[in-house]
Amino acid sequence: MRRALACAAAPLSRSAARPRAQEPLFDEEFQRKLEYLALVSRRVFSGAMKAERRTKKTGSGVEFADRREYVAGDDFRHLDWHAYGRFDELLLRLFEEQEDLSIYFLLDSSWSMGFGSGAKLRHAKRLCAALAYVGLANLDRVAIVTAGDRVTGRMPPTRGKARIFRVFRFLEAVSPDGDTDLGAAARAFAAQHKRRGLAVLLSDLYDPAGFESGINALRYSRFEPLVLHIVEPADRAPLLKGDLLLRDCESGEEREVTVSGRVLARYGQAYDAYLESVRRFCTAKRVSYFAADVRVPFDELILRLFRRGGFLR
Amino acid sequence: MHFFGISTTLLLQAGAGLAAVVVALYILRLRRRPASVPFAKLWQRVLRDKESSALFSQLRRLLSLLLQLLLLGLLLLALADPRPSAPAAGARHLVVLVDASASMKATDVGPQGAAAAGPAGAVASGPRSRLELAREKVRELGRSLSGADAMLVAQMDAALTPLSSMTSEPAEIEQAARRLAAVDVRAALAPALRFALDALRALSRPEIVVVSDGALGEPSDAAGPVDLGDVPLSFVPVGKGGRNVAVTGFAVRRYPLDKSRYEVMLEATNAGDEPEDVELELYGDGELSDIVALRLGPHESRSRFYPNLSGASRTLEARIALRGGGRDVLPADDRAFALLPERRRARVQLVTAGNTYLEAALLLDEYLEVVTVPPGRYPAAGAFDVTIFDSVGPALAPHSGHVLYLNPSGEHLPFKLGPEIKSARGRNVGFDELDAHSPLLRHVSLGDVNVARAHVLEGTKEDRAVGRSERGALLLQGRRQGTRFVALGFDIRESDLPLRIAWPLLLLNVISDFIEEDIGYVSSLRTGDVWHVPAPGQAQTGRLRLPDGSEQVVPIKDGRAVFLGRHAGFYTLLVREGAEERTSMFAANMSDPVESAVKPATELRVGARQAGELAGFAVGARRRWWIYLIGAALLITALEWLGYHRRVTV
Repeated sequence: MRRALACAAAPLSRSAARPRAQEPLFDEEFQRKLEYLALVSRRVFSGAMKAERRTKKTGSGVEFADRREYVAGDDFRHLDWHAYGRFDELLLRLFEEQEDLSIYFLLDSSWSMGFGSGAKLRHAKRLCAALAYVGLANLDRVAIVTAGDRVTGRMPPTRGKARIFRVFRFLEAVSPDGDTDLGAAARAFAAQHKRRGLAVLLSDLYDPAGFESGINALRYSRFEPLVLHIVEPADRAPLLKGDLLLRDCESGEEREVTVSGRVLARYGQAYDAYLESVRRFCTAKRVSYFAADVRVPFDELILRLFRRGGFLR
Repeated sequence: MHFFGISTTLLLQAGAGLAAVVVALYILRLRRRPASVPFAKLWQRVLRDKESSALFSQLRRLLSLLLQLLLLGLLLLALADPRPSAPAAGARHLVVLVDASASMKATDVGPQGAAAAGPAGAVASGPRSRLELAREKVRELGRSLSGADAMLVAQMDAALTPLSSMTSEPAEIEQAARRLAAVDVRAALAPALRFALDALRALSRPEIVVVSDGALGEPSDAAGPVDLGDVPLSFVPVGKGGRNVAVTGFAVRRYPLDKSRYEVMLEATNAGDEPEDVELELYGDGELSDIVALRLGPHESRSRFYPNLSGASRTLEARIALRGGGRDVLPADDRAFALLPERRRARVQLVTAGNTYLEAALLLDEYLEVVTVPPGRYPAAGAFDVTIFDSVGPALAPHSGHVLYLNPSGEHLPFKLGPEIKSARGRNVGFDELDAHSPLLRHVSLGDVNVARAHVLEGTKEDRAVGRSERGALLLQGRRQGTRFVALGFDIRESDLPLRIAWPLLLLNVISDFIEEDIGYVSSLRTGDVWHVPAPGQAQTGRLRLPDGSEQVVPIKDGRAVFLGRHAGFYTLLVREGAEERTSMFAANMSDPVESAVKPATELRVGARQAGELAGFAVGARRRWWIYLIGAALLITALEWLGYHRRVTV
């Protein structure tokens, strides 16, 4: 409770305005934009139940994938007679398997996401809802998990556009709680979800144990991580000055500091370096990474994401 | 350095206490404000680099505290109002002598200005006087002092009165200017200059400034001409006009042998450059008794006699005015005052075996009640104003009054009888020396009196020999225990004195002097002189009521009240003796043709030196350190505020 008050007590650090609680999170304007985004994304999704995303598994799809030698018991309808004519060998044609994609949204709901005005969490919710709608519109299975240092909430996989309102209700009920431990949260998530798929991590990546642990946990669990790094300008340039006792809103760790212009400049540099380290790590591990500035409208962010790829194929 | 504000002890105590408060507040200010951040780890990276500058940060905190203490020190020092103990080299020192003589009352310099407050803050209305202008000049001088300059303001009239110390304090100078007041006397320049020279001794850049209309006395006195040495002299002239008529003489005297009648002498003067038509008025006991029109030429004085007057019992007043309603710039000399002493019957006890000449002389004054007593039956019943011992000298009985000894003898005399002297062939005894100023000898000529035989009279050193032969005093005057006496060392019947008119005059002069009815001295005293007014009774002090109604305690010495008179008009002396308070009145006049000549002078000369114009004064900054201290404190406050908000001094 104390930490909640501390993280919400933005005026102490003068970092941001209070959350505009009275604004609805998913208003009509937001829903109109969702429809637009779904239309834009339609040409890239496919699935097994007529979902529109292909997998690399060979199966009963119509797309030729590969050949192998015929063995007794194979379906002779798939014999490649052209290859027999050329190579005088009986070869079986293999086809790609088409099945629906599981999209998991791992939403960081720790205290740091709710710090100040709560703009990061709010923005993350909107991004999550928008991407979930795109997935639902493309008949993918969408699930949402909220976590801080553990899984704190779970919306089971669902499909179909009509389920978006369930998504809305779930996300509206999310409030910041707990410290950040992405590694533990990702491991717990992986243990709870056997079906692999795309794991979209929406977080500010303020993990004292290091952001790498969470992303690696997803990779090692054979999920396909996509990192949406939620950034807020107030985090880079806080309105702090003078003799202060800085307190971490999650760990409660305190540190005396005298903040001057110089110190603020150095802090900005440290913050930029931190963002760059995240980017470089994701690039090195071939993890899709996208920095989502809270100042940029969610729809524009998603369109940029579409253009860059990684979420749509 | 001297502190003119709070004392050094209080300064130190307040400084210690407030410094402790400042340190305590500063320590409280060092408490840090808590602030939440979303990710402290980022700050740790920043603060790791800052560890090395912790010492510098502490030093900046200390700098801020030192600035606070410096600020406190400046403010306290400003409160203490420090000033240099010695005047700065080159500081000017002025003595400003302001002429407060009667001519400075002339109203010829225009209407009142905005700042024309005079004595006790009263703001006068109507035309402005020369003294008002002089007051403004003094104020201007005070405002023009710069740096460590200082000035002393003194009022110059019959005496020199310092009104301030050698100061640069505007408040003190203003107070001195307010206290300036013109009086009905002539200004004495010589003693004023001597005072100024004494006041400026050993001071840097001394200077004397005289603010006057030029109607000053000679710059010399009993000690000789005043030598200014190297001290510069400046003259600030005031006054413009010169049109003035005045009563410059007013005298009254009773007729010696008919004291119910009197005659008046009045002198009118036109001090202007143009002829004037004037009216002279004479008032007796407030009633107009005579009015006459005169035409006076430029600078003309004319006397007028009023003989054989009667009717007035007490006060006489003369007034002069311009005919046609013209304005006289100096009203102070348009009135003169005189007092007729009360006529009362004096009781005279004559102790004699018979003396026709003596008894006949006493019959001449109808206001004398004479009781003749043979020597063997002295004293007579009752109280007497005067007792005349004729050829006897008994012990003085109470209620005998003052005593006249004629041909004294006996052992109870208040003086010593010296050897007998006789006229010889070719060498007569007579008065070889006479005190012509003695009231006993007014209108009396004794120089050719021949005495057959006489005794020399030997008195004390306080006694006064009014008439002396070559062998000693023959007419002695003195006082013993409050009782006055006059002694004549010979029998008048052994001289030719009774055959002269001098004899009854001498006798009546003595009696009049005893009972304070001096027929020649009755009119008025002159302002500017030290008066010795006869005081009734034996008291040591009395109260003198001045013409303006105010009262002043005056000392009484040897039966006379001593007072420096500065104002014309009627005075009342009140002397308390037991339960009874006895009063006496007298009049005083200016009667000074020099003061009435109000045409201002354009230059002033002291010896061979001519006074220069006042120069070298301009409004300048005063060297008041507290102003600079406050300025420094404000500057440091601004710098500290800026440094704190710029995080320079934390």
